[in-house]
Amino acid sequence: MKKELVKLIDLSRCTACRGCQVACKQWNELPAKRTKNFGSYQNPPDLQSNTWTLIRFQEHEKKNGKINWLFRKDGCMHCTDAACIKVCPTGALYHTEFGSVSMHADKCIGCKACITACPFSVPKFDAETNKIAKCDLCYTRLQVNQPPACVQSCPTGALQIGAKDAMIKKAYARAAELGGDANVYGDKFVQGTHVVYVLPERADVYEHLPVDPKVPLEIIIWKDVLKPASLLTAGAVVAGCFLHYITHGPKTPDDETTCEGGNKS
Amino acid sequence: MKKGMIKATGPFERVVHWCVALSCLLLCLTGMGMMFHSLNGIGTMVGGMLNLKMIHNFGGIFFAISLVFTIAMWWKEAGLFSFPEDWQWIIAGGGYLWHVENMPEVGKYNPGQKMFFLVVALFGAVMVASGLIIWFPFSFGVSLVRMMYVLHALGFLIIFAFFFVHLYLVTIGAPGSAPAMFTGWVTKAWVKKQHPKWLKEMEEDGSLVVFGEEKCSKKGRC
Repeated sequence: MKKELVKLIDLSRCTACRGCQVACKQWNELPAKRTKNFGSYQNPPDLQSNTWTLIRFQEHEKKNGKINWLFRKDGCMHCTDAACIKVCPTGALYHTEFGSVSMHADKCIGCKACITACPFSVPKFDAETNKIAKCDLCYTRLQVNQPPACVQSCPTGALQIGAKDAMIKKAYARAAELGGDANVYGDKFVQGTHVVYVLPERADVYEHLPVDPKVPLEIIIWKDVLKPASLLTAGAVVAGCFLHYITHGPKTPDDETTCEGGNKS
Repeated sequence: MKKGMIKATGPFERVVHWCVALSCLLLCLTGMGMMFHSLNGIGTMVGGMLNLKMIHNFGGIFFAISLVFTIAMWWKEAGLFSFPEDWQWIIAGGGYLWHVENMPEVGKYNPGQKMFFLVVALFGAVMVASGLIIWFPFSFGVSLVRMMYVLHALGFLIIFAFFFVHLYLVTIGAPGSAPAMFTGWVTKAWVKKQHPKWLKEMEEDGSLVVFGEEKCSKKGRC
């Protein structure tokens, strides 16, 4: 097993050049589709089946009334406790040896369960292929010791990839260096994500970024409680029927009432 | 067919029963093929998991239609309890769990069967509704769809468990029952044992149909 990798996104260094967004499209062969202008530099408006990473633009008013322009590179967080893998019926979504969440596209049946389960709203459905699509952390590049396309393209060093421990250490060092509200996002929930942010602002400031992401309770009840319980209940019922048969016995009709006067017994 | 057999069901009843029963079984199997990775082989048998999903989804529509007929057909007979005799039957465990003297006589459907019908009707409807929402998740809110997965799994747990009880009773648990859903004719001894009140009711209102004696019906429809 190779070492777990973490992609570190230092948002304090991001200039929103969107080089990563374009590099992702180029490497993964995801040509752009017609888009909508919704009054923002952010384009397209959301992650799409053909846009696996997206720079989100956000105007944030600070306490002193100053407007802060926030940029956030959105995309798959590559959870360790990944809700999408938990619900995938076919095993199309899986953990790679790097800890990232990759996908066997041929196995995807377009059930959309992962879309419902993901706490980050990352997987997107492609109606043309009837499959979902999302970032796989450039699995084929990782396999040959190359950084993901987004990391390769980043001109400011906002994106880095490396061994999990080293990256998390680096993240905390950077957050401490920035001071203020700067914090590390990603190592504390869903048993650690393989994409970790250094956020210059508190997590709740960022749009579309859950403060406390977790595998939804409904998914846990479904997969960890009801799924095994359904087999156990069925087993108990079969055992109960057998016990009934050998202890109490079946309810059989009384001897046929062919004789005059009713039942013989 | 032996003479003296009693007509328990009509052909329409049996067709509806098997439509709902077989589609339910199909849905259980195809659903399990998607719920358990170890059973993905069921998908392989039908040419892949995508086919399995399609069979499950469209099988669900067939089930939904069958369920409508099932409920419409049996609602009056099996959907309503008649107290106090049904309550006595339930307290006595139907005589299935321990020996009971003077079991209250039951009509066409005993309270156990009524409960089975109600569970199938209620959870069948739950399965149809939750299944449709899971099928088209983008038309609904995420939190609703998540809850539907819970309901769908809960419905499976209950229906799957009841299926085995049903299977046990109609095979070795209460011998003589199964023909009611195959040929439609059961023995008089079976009716006397299982549904004595029903036998009396039929004798009284003349709706009893005995094989070989059809002409004797008081309604004169032989």
